[in-house]
Amino acid sequence: MATTALTRPSADTEMEAVYARILNRRRDNRLLPPYRAAKNEDVVDLLTRYFVAEQPGATVSAVRRVGGGASKEQFFFTLTTPDGNAEQFVLRMDPREAITETDRRREFEILEAIRSTVPAPRPRWLDADGAHFGQPAVIMDVVRGVTKPSDAGIKVSGLGTFLGADLRAKLRDQFLDYLVAIHGFDWRNAHLPSYEIPDADPKQAARWTFNYWRDLWRVDEGETRPIMALAEQWLADNQPDTGDLTMTHGDYRTGNYLFDEDTGKITALLDWELARVGDFHEDLGWTLMQIFGCWEDGKFRASDLFGREEFITEYERRSGRTVNRETLHYYDVMASWKCYIITAANGMAAARNEHNHQDVLLTFLATADAMFADDLCRLLAREPRA
Amino acid sequence: MTPNTDDRIASVIRALNEVILPHLPPEASLALEQGQLAIGHLQILRAQLDHVPAFEAEELADAKAIGTELAGGVTGGKATAGAIATLHAAVIASLPAGDAPAARKQRQAIHDAIEALVRAVAVDGDAAGKSALHGIILTMELARSQKDRKWFAPFGFDTI
Repeated sequence: MATTALTRPSADTEMEAVYARILNRRRDNRLLPPYRAAKNEDVVDLLTRYFVAEQPGATVSAVRRVGGGASKEQFFFTLTTPDGNAEQFVLRMDPREAITETDRRREFEILEAIRSTVPAPRPRWLDADGAHFGQPAVIMDVVRGVTKPSDAGIKVSGLGTFLGADLRAKLRDQFLDYLVAIHGFDWRNAHLPSYEIPDADPKQAARWTFNYWRDLWRVDEGETRPIMALAEQWLADNQPDTGDLTMTHGDYRTGNYLFDEDTGKITALLDWELARVGDFHEDLGWTLMQIFGCWEDGKFRASDLFGREEFITEYERRSGRTVNRETLHYYDVMASWKCYIITAANGMAAARNEHNHQDVLLTFLATADAMFADDLCRLLAREPRA
Repeated sequence: MTPNTDDRIASVIRALNEVILPHLPPEASLALEQGQLAIGHLQILRAQLDHVPAFEAEELADAKAIGTELAGGVTGGKATAGAIATLHAAVIASLPAGDAPAARKQRQAIHDAIEALVRAVAVDGDAAGKSALHGIILTMELARSQKDRKWFAPFGFDTI
């Protein structure tokens, strides 16, 4: 299918080249036929044929789907080499359209680069354009651990996980220290060929993020409402300077790390697909979103680990950085705006087009958009700037 | 009419819950997850079904109200005036009684016109117009989002 180039004449539409490609792919894929969830036997066949070339003589067994998550199709499998060595891996594969449309090559690169800094799964094989698996895919080492306590009950997609006092005490320092470590990561000397650096001017980091999400909203024909229009204009008009470009995770929250339930040790940070070089305030605004936290006795805890002010002051103390409250406010607004786009536009478009393996989850998640609209009203009322 | 809609949805839920899901093997994790979500979604739809017409009528009434407020309260130059005229036309468009798809279409037309107005005000709105735009949208959308949050609270994401 022909790829139609976006018109990108000015700073109003500039973004990383990979994100422009993602938008084009998203638009082009809309007319493709429905996507069917991969069956175990199909995955066995795909993996077996893949490893004929990659690991001659190896055998694939114990293929089973990984539960949870809202974005990718994931399967555990065991690969046994001719000398009898058996290792378990996870295959992470794009559906035709996902609730977050990202690039597997970038994910592979950041995992490889950052796992000497923070715990993260080791990426092993990459099919960046889906030449073998039909959809872009990455294969990673399996890391032991859970994303939520085993007694946490059923929650959709790990949102709002309640950890409890014991685990909270064990996890909170690690959670914050790893975020500080990500932001301190030496991306300048890392091998990240797919990543572009927004250093042309101080507003480029904010502009690139804004432009991508705004265009994604339009590609997926999000059904607008007045507060979304106002938020978009406000975000266009108030883009902050980024003083210190840092690596950002993009989706840093409880639910996106694995931990050992007995010791409370974090064993891996997951879901690096939205990582980019940008403004650390963007991560802080995302982590502090109410939907990823818990309320108890009228008090909010981000990711069930820190109160908002406690998180900010502890982040400053441990990182040595100063959190600019105006910049954080900007990224608070952006976080709610992005979440609205993800749930109301991206997820719904994927479901509407029958391009995902769990449409009913996506339409279920879309009902959260009222919370994000409400967040935007409260946040923009706090600072009525032009 | 027999069987009524509630009975029909209830029978689907029961079939999923008691006939289909118990026969899925544990390794069919995606099917089990999707089945549970389908049941939850249907249970909420069942509870909301009788209230949907009133909810959608109120959505349209709220869209007309905010459109009217903005058309009457926002001022500016040529682009703003043009967007206000379009918004006004969307608000006063007549609608066949009981036509739910047409009502949704009109609500969306009003929201699209408000989006165009927001952009126009950024181009040539005056200070008073910008302030009015901001104040009206925040006030009326906060009220609207509170209604939406209550409507969708059964899905379990919200603490409202």
